[in-house]
Amino acid sequence: MSGAKVDIKVVLLGKAYTGKTSLVERYIHNRFSGDTVPYQNVITIGAAFGAKTVSIGNKNVIIGIWDTAGSERYEAMSRIYYRGAKAAIICYDLSDRSSFDRARFWIGELQKHEENCQIHLCGTKYDLIVDNPDLRKIQERETFALAQDVRGKVYETSSKTGKDVSLIFTNIASDYISSLRNKPAQENKEHLVALRNASSKRNFCSGCKI
Amino acid sequence: MEEIVNENVSATDLKKYESVYLEQQRRGHVSEKTQFDYALCLVRSKYEEDKYKGVSLLMDLLRSSSDNQSMRDYYFFIAIAYTRLKLYEKALDYVEPIFKIEPSNRQAKELKAYIKKKLKTDGLIGMAVVGGAALALGGVVAATIAAIRK
Repeated sequence: MSGAKVDIKVVLLGKAYTGKTSLVERYIHNRFSGDTVPYQNVITIGAAFGAKTVSIGNKNVIIGIWDTAGSERYEAMSRIYYRGAKAAIICYDLSDRSSFDRARFWIGELQKHEENCQIHLCGTKYDLIVDNPDLRKIQERETFALAQDVRGKVYETSSKTGKDVSLIFTNIASDYISSLRNKPAQENKEHLVALRNASSKRNFCSGCKI
Repeated sequence: MEEIVNENVSATDLKKYESVYLEQQRRGHVSEKTQFDYALCLVRSKYEEDKYKGVSLLMDLLRSSSDNQSMRDYYFFIAIAYTRLKLYEKALDYVEPIFKIEPSNRQAKELKAYIKKKLKTDGLIGMAVVGGAALALGGVVAATIAAIRK
């Protein structure tokens, strides 16, 4: 699928091993391989790209997902990737406190440089917490407080079970569609052009029939 | 993989990381991180010479590196650079070593498949060009013969 056709650019940010690639894998291919592959083998090089079409009502939206590498050596590159993103999914591992600090770092970055980017805070590996509640290192109220500050949304997901994974992307797509609807007509030139083209095509077709 | 291969760096970013690199070079020591950041920008530049320069910086890092994960990443981006330069055979030479480090690396597999596909389509285009030229030449010969016979 070509990047040029994408309606919404979404970027995934967060510390290494929080499960960003697993989240994308679950969402796009509905599979999970985190248990079978040793960790060293799945750390992303640079960034990966995936796309998926979401249907919201009678509209189709193509989401392009930039899955950035979590290792710090790619920090400069990840900064380049969040540019122009409509939404960021900031991942932290619910069982790893330091990953939450890293999430704060990325929130700060986005607020400074990309203020129109909608923030989705995503606590990952929820299945681990269900199995053993003691593993939880970040409380939900903490995340909610942080999300409120940045007008973001909070999720606790498991790519292993699939819990709430597609919810994030469906919300992103719905936000996008309602933002199109709410935009004043002037600002919405792209959309207008598309409509105009569509209607002229229709005229052409009915002309053909006659 | 197409998006990753075809992604261009902005001039602003290229300049930004170039100036950090040049500044460190002037002071006499370039850190690995600085060289890596700059190389990644060069590789994704739209200019040929930048891509070659990016490759040479990555080769340099590769020679002085002993840790597998860094090496894997250098190989990957050298392969990306050669793919962007349409030097597909060379690109494959740098994808293969990744499998020695991580036999089932998915990004390397995807890149390899992408290069193979490109090799095939570019080969077909090449054949079409040669075929077309032969056809045109045949036409010229036929016309000449016809003209002589008149």
